[in-house]
This record gives sequence, structure tokens and C-alpha cells, in this order.
Amino acid sequence: MMKQWRVGARSLLREPLLHFFIAGAAVFGLMAGRGPDVGDRRIVVDEAVVAGIVAHHLRAFRRPPTAAELDDLIRDHVRTEIYYREALALGLDQDDDAVKKRLRNKMLAIASARAEARTPTDAELQALIDRNPARYARPVRYWLEQRFLGDDTPATRAAATAMLGATDQGKAPAATAPALPLPARLSGTPADEVAMQFGDDFAAGLARVPTGRWAGPVASGFGLHLVRVERRVDPPRPTLADVRQRVENDWRRTAIAAAEEADLKALMAKYDVVIEPVT
Amino acid sequence: MQAKTGTPGNPWGMMMARTTMGMAVLLGAAALLAGCEAAKPAGPKAEDVPLSAFPERVYWGDTHLHTSNSVDAFGLGVRLGPEDALRFARGETVTATTGMQAKLARPLDFLVVSDHAEGLGATKALYDAPRLLIRDERMRRWHDMMHEGPAGSQRAMIEILAARGRNDLPEAMLNPDGAAERTKSVWNANIDAVERYNEPGRFTAFHGFEYTLMQGGNNLHRNIIFRDGEDKVRTVVPIDPTYKATPDEIWNYMEAYEKATGGRVLAIPHNSNLSNGLMFELTMPGGGPMTAAYARRRARLEPVVEITQIKGDSEAHPFLSPNDELAGYGVAGWELNNLLSNQPTQPGMRAGNYVREALKRGLLIEAQTGANPYKFGVIGSTDSHTSLATADEDNFFGKHSGNEPRAGRAMAPQNIGTRVERFGWHYLASGYAAVWARANTRAAIFDAMARREVYGTTGPRMTLRLFAGWDFTPADLKGDWVRAGYTRGVPMGGELAPHPNQKSGGELAPHPNHKPGGEPKSAKGPPRFIISALKDPQGANLDRVQVVKGWIDGAGKAQEHVYDVAWSSPETRKPVAGKLPPVGDTVDLATATYRNSIGAPALTTLWTDSDFDPATRAFYYVRVLEIPTPTWPAFDAVRYKLKLPADVRLKAQERAYSSPIWYTPA
Repeated sequence: MMKQWRVGARSLLREPLLHFFIAGAAVFGLMAGRGPDVGDRRIVVDEAVVAGIVAHHLRAFRRPPTAAELDDLIRDHVRTEIYYREALALGLDQDDDAVKKRLRNKMLAIASARAEARTPTDAELQALIDRNPARYARPVRYWLEQRFLGDDTPATRAAATAMLGATDQGKAPAATAPALPLPARLSGTPADEVAMQFGDDFAAGLARVPTGRWAGPVASGFGLHLVRVERRVDPPRPTLADVRQRVENDWRRTAIAAAEEADLKALMAKYDVVIEPVT
Repeated sequence: MQAKTGTPGNPWGMMMARTTMGMAVLLGAAALLAGCEAAKPAGPKAEDVPLSAFPERVYWGDTHLHTSNSVDAFGLGVRLGPEDALRFARGETVTATTGMQAKLARPLDFLVVSDHAEGLGATKALYDAPRLLIRDERMRRWHDMMHEGPAGSQRAMIEILAARGRNDLPEAMLNPDGAAERTKSVWNANIDAVERYNEPGRFTAFHGFEYTLMQGGNNLHRNIIFRDGEDKVRTVVPIDPTYKATPDEIWNYMEAYEKATGGRVLAIPHNSNLSNGLMFELTMPGGGPMTAAYARRRARLEPVVEITQIKGDSEAHPFLSPNDELAGYGVAGWELNNLLSNQPTQPGMRAGNYVREALKRGLLIEAQTGANPYKFGVIGSTDSHTSLATADEDNFFGKHSGNEPRAGRAMAPQNIGTRVERFGWHYLASGYAAVWARANTRAAIFDAMARREVYGTTGPRMTLRLFAGWDFTPADLKGDWVRAGYTRGVPMGGELAPHPNQKSGGELAPHPNHKPGGEPKSAKGPPRFIISALKDPQGANLDRVQVVKGWIDGAGKAQEHVYDVAWSSPETRKPVAGKLPPVGDTVDLATATYRNSIGAPALTTLWTDSDFDPATRAFYYVRVLEIPTPTWPAFDAVRYKLKLPADVRLKAQERAYSSPIWYTPA
């Protein structure tokens, strides 16, 4: 939910300046740390306001407004401004959920836009990696041979054990079932890809067999296998250069959530929240 | 943003000089904003990802996923955007709209976020709009309903979609200027997210959108997928087909994009099953004989069709294929009406609704015009509107956020736009796209789609290979048959050229390897097919592999035949009167489980078409069936202790469909 408001609010911020004239004064007011002065009876249409009106027209109609149109737009702006201030004076915003939610979105957007616009330092990203190196580490890689034995049955398991006992370790065991349409040899295949091809059980089973000799049986999603793991290479510690894209995506997500949270905390500190017990 | 302030002046007397100045301020601000665009983190470069000589592994993905930017998805409740969709697809845990933690058991290799161009972000905008500013009565009503909560939101969406079907949306919702502006901003934010999550070699995120073409309530939707990165894709915005009835506009758009940028783009039509005969017509849209130019253009721009998804399966229908007792998977609930259920589906419309029939029609049109508009490959995808690309029965997050996992969802009516009821259980936990690409990059996956080397499944990740050639022998299966397939044949999606020694009269000359007096080393004669199907390593065993052949007979009529070419336990399971006995059933509904004690983990065969006639054009595709497994309503029944009515489908034989291989006589 929080996420949605943030995204919604962010796109609103990118929306035409018109939106600022509809509800924006309240935000500017809040940003400056004071509420809108509804008693103010002076409406100033300055260059910035006109630029905003022109910009909106330009985007909507692909041309600047004519002088007459601009006059109309400015008149309309002034009317909106008057209604807006009078509505605030009457407290019409007080019981309108949409107004409240929209303003809340804008507050969130202010917090998240700051985080979003920032480029993290390498040190910050490195710290994220250090906190959870397993998340960014590449999987273990395998060099191995495998022979498919058939369905996982007690008989096949017994036969596998017998075969291993009789196997000359220098030679591959004889095939006892038609080969699967899968590679008999893997060379440097990452464990997650092994799992995609042979199933999770097989990848987990590989971690437990000794290297350098035929061993097993190891169960896959298809049945039983004998395997000879030649090499099992642990991944090097993840470096920032390797995983920058992923870690930066994580950083941004975390930073935005943290900024929103921090802002909320700071604001909450200014309030006493009383939840009265039901009587 | 608005730091600059000017001198206050007389507001009513503002002159054009000021206007010009205002524009200068605006342009300056725009430049500033452009400078603020967050730089994309340096990731691996697509050029550095090595390409294998042949496609070595299949890449899994979803080409059809909606997020909160889709007008209906938001209305139906989803609050997760493209970033969550991308994180979920690549295996991260996200919090679903209804609050559950969601994670894919196995990540996907690629994803296309394909939000509806029509009204991109519009529902969200209506939701966010200050109530006082909504002048249209209906829009204000919808705004209020959406603020009531999820149930109200869904009712509002149903009314909006119904109005869309009647061409009766409020003028203000169609305001093209406001919509264009909103579309651009949503599109740019979407591009940012897609670029950030595209990691060549590891995970591919495509730019794309859905072109939601409809004629009345008849579904002519297409997903548009770009091969390119942001440099090219930012030069366009998704276009909105509101009230258009033919695909000309989107094809013009695609061709213009390719011409202007040098990039590539393709379209994937979907839900032909809900088009009331309009997706695969024999004629031009609107009538008249189909022209070769139209056929060629369509085949080039739309090389792939989505054959299965949540809103039903479009492979075949028992009405059209009465001799195929396994036709009709996932047609229940979807076969009665068009998409919006505002027009019943008449029997005569069915042929234009299903893929197998389209492939046959393609042959007919080709015989008449020389060009085949329906020479397409097939994929599956979800069309999920939850931002969650789920197609597994045991982890199905539903069509939209209103039917994310909860007790009542299987029996909840889904009567969008009408009183004609569809129920939750009619939704399939389907499907995924499988792509034989040479690397996991946009270019490699796109190119595989363009050459149709793809297949679709209803969710399980079976591995399926298909090659056609003239000289494959049983000995090939003992060696490196993949290499043999690529070097001496064509893979799925390909076109089998006539036998090199075939005379134009259709007669075969002796093959060069033919040794007089002995068995020919590699035979002349009919085409041979290497077919290999491997079960999903985490899933169910396989029942059988079938070849579906379509051709044009001597009388110019389209024909089809389904051959069982490999099946489990062939020693004991023999065809009776030409029919293979069923594989059996190990499903235990009390626990929603099954056992792999029947079926086979892999089925590989070399199949020869002994009915082959070298003078007849034909297509061949493969259908692989799993043994019966529990469906998602069966899992729900266990999870929520439900008693479901007898007509709810609780078990099914999930399947994979290959792209066809075509044979055209010399």
C-alpha cells in the first residue's frame, strides 16, 4: 500500500503544474513549515504562475495559448484560487478523504523523491553487500558427470550401491536406463541452473557428495543418478563491480522506504496520538 | 521545482511577450528535470553476453503481465507497480496487494510488463483525482466506489469495462490530450523500472505494452514487445486503440517505429478464444478476400500467438476437433461468449477462435494467395492483473487482486459487464512462455520469438525439443541429436524445405546415400521428426507426446490428425482400436497431491509421417500431456476446507504446445 501511494504521488509530481494550483498551495505551505494563510486576501499571478499555465496548455494542445485564451486561463486560475481559499476557510477539506489521501501522497512523494534523486556512494553500496553477502553471492559452480539409473525405487537404490561397490573409479558406470535429454557432463554450471534442469533435490544432493569419484545415488526430479563431481567451486566474495545493478536497486528501494519512515517518525514526534478505549 | 519567481504584474494585462518568457522558464525547468533523471546503474552489457552456437537451454518467462498501471488491474484492486512485478518475476519476495508474502518457487528468466495502453494509469488518476473536480456523474460515482474499498473498486471496474464495451465511456475519460500526457509520464516511469531490472545474461526485462483492440466485446488484443533499450523506446509512447476495430493502426505504428529507430518490435495476439471468430478470419477484417500483402504483413509483425493463459486455452475446441478426445482443455466458461459476454459465441464463429484451426486456415489462404497470415509460433503467458506472474497450481495468485488466495474465490462469479456468469474456477493457472534462445538477452530472446523457436505450457516447465529433417535415423538419438537437429534439420517454428532431391512433380529421386541392394543409410521419402519431451523436474510425469498434423486435402479442404507418437509404459499400454488407453490417475483430492508412480520422466522418439504426400502443404506441432494433477481449486479446497460443486474442475492434464513446423511443396 505504502508503495502504491509513493508511486502514485511521484507520478503526480511529474504531472503538469496545473495540479499544483489545484492543491499545491497547501503543500508549499506545509513545506515552509506553516499552514496556508486562508485569511490572505491577496492573489498574485506572477511570471511563474503564468509559466505554469502556459506549460500546461502547451502539453495539452501542442501550442501556446493565444492572448485571449491566456486571459481566460488566468481568470479561471484566479477563480479556482478564490474558491480554494474559501473552501479551506470553511473547512471543506476537513472531511474529504480524497483530499486527505492526496495530500498524504504528496508528503510521501517529498520524502521519497529526495531518496530517489540521490546517487548512492560506493561505500553505501558496499555496506549493503557486507550486511548480506549471501544475497549477492553467485551460486556454487559444478563440474560433473552424471548417469541416470531410472525411477527412485528401493531396487534401483540397492542396484546403485552395488554398482558403486563394483565400479572401477576410473571408468564411468554402465548405463542402466535410457539417457535423459539432459547433459551427461556439466562444466562450470551454477547451482541454480543445475536446480532448474535437474530439480532442487539434485542440486541439494550434489552439495553432499564427495568429489573426485563416482558417488550417489543422488535423487533428481526424474529419478536416481550416479554422479562424479570433479570440481565444486565456491563463488568468490561478491564485488561491487559484479553486482552493482542489483545492489543499487535494493539500495533505492530501501532508501525510499527509510526516508518515508524517517519523515513519518519526525512528524509523529510533533503529535500526541490518543486512542481512547471503547467504553 | 518552482524556485524562480517573477515580478508581480497586472494579471489581466499579461501580454505575449510575457508568455514567451514563461516558455523560456519552462524550457529551462524541463532541461533541469532531464538532468535529474537517475542514471541507470552500470550493469553487464548485452554485447558482452556470449551466445551459444545453438540454443542450449530454454528460457522461461511471461510476456503478458499487468500492474497497477493497467486501467482494469488497478480498478480490480492491485496496488503493486512494475518494480514489484519485476522483483517478483526474478525471484524476490514481495507483499501482494491483499497482504500475503508472495514468492515464485522458481524465478523466471524474462518478463514483459504489458500494461494496457488504453487509459494507461487512468483508473489510478481517477482514484487520485480530487472529488470536487470530477464533473461527470458516472466518473464521480466510480471514484466513490473505488474509495469504498476492494469490493467497491471491483464493482466500479465492472461498470467501466461494460461502458467500454458499449463504446459509452464518459467523454472526460477519453480526453486525448490529458491521456497522452498521463501516458507519457507513466510510460517513462515504467521504462525507468524496466531498465533498472534488465540484467543481460541474468534476467531480461522487456519494454512493451498491451494494445487492447476490441470490436464490441470481441477480443482482438495484442501485446507489443520491443527488442530495444530505452534510447529507442523512449521515442514512442504506447498508443491507445479505443474504438478502433482492425489492427492496421498498430501495424502502422510498429512499422513506423522500426523505420524511425532501426529497432525491432513484434506483436503477440491473445485470447483468440474470446474473439467470436474475428482473431483468425479467412477474409480481410470486415470482409473481402484476404490479400497476400495483408497476409505477409501480419505474419511478419505477429510471429507468435499466445495459445494459453488464465482466461482459457485457445489450442483447440471439441466442436472443431471431434476426433481429438483431449481437445477442449480450459474452454469451460470461456466458450459461451466473447470477452465482455455481450455477444454469444455461435458455432460458426469457433473456427476463428482457436489456434489449430487458424493454422489450417493459414494453409488454405496460402494455397490461394501464396502467403500465409497465420504462420505463427505459440507461447503461453499469464495475463495476470496482480503484478504477480504465477502459473503454478499450488501458488496461484489469481487473475486479479480480487481473486488472490482466499476461501471464496473458486466459486465467486466473474460476471464482468453482464449477468452471464463465469466463475473463479474457470480461470486457469496458466501459462508460461518457453524460448529456445542463445542467451538471456533482449536481442537473443526477441530473435528466437521472431523465428518462432518458442513453445507454450499451461504452467509446468517441461523441456520440449522438436526437429524435422529428411535423413534422421534412430542412430541419431544415441548421439548428439541436438546438433544433428540443427545441422540437418529445422527446429520448431521452422520451415522444412522440400527434400533436396525432390523433383517439382513431387516424385523423389534416390537419395545420394542410397546403396543399391541395401537399406538406405538415410532414407528418402517422408519427413522425420526428432521429438524429445522431458518432465518438469519439480513436476508431474508425462503421459504422452502427440503430433498434430494439419493439411489441405485433394478437394481443397483443411484436415487434421492427432498422432500418439510416444507414451509411458509402451510395453503394457497398447492402443486399442487406434486409441491409446488413459495413463491412469494418482490424484488424491483429500490432500491435493499426486504420485509419479505412473507416466514417464522423459519421452523421446524419432517419428516418421507415413501419411506424407510431398505435393501437399502441411504443418506439424507437438502436444505433450502430463499425468493428471490437482488444479488450483483443488489446492484451495484443501487449504480452506471447501466443499466445491461437482462441476468444478479439480484435476487436469497440463500440457505443452510446440510451435509448428511447416512443409510447403516445391
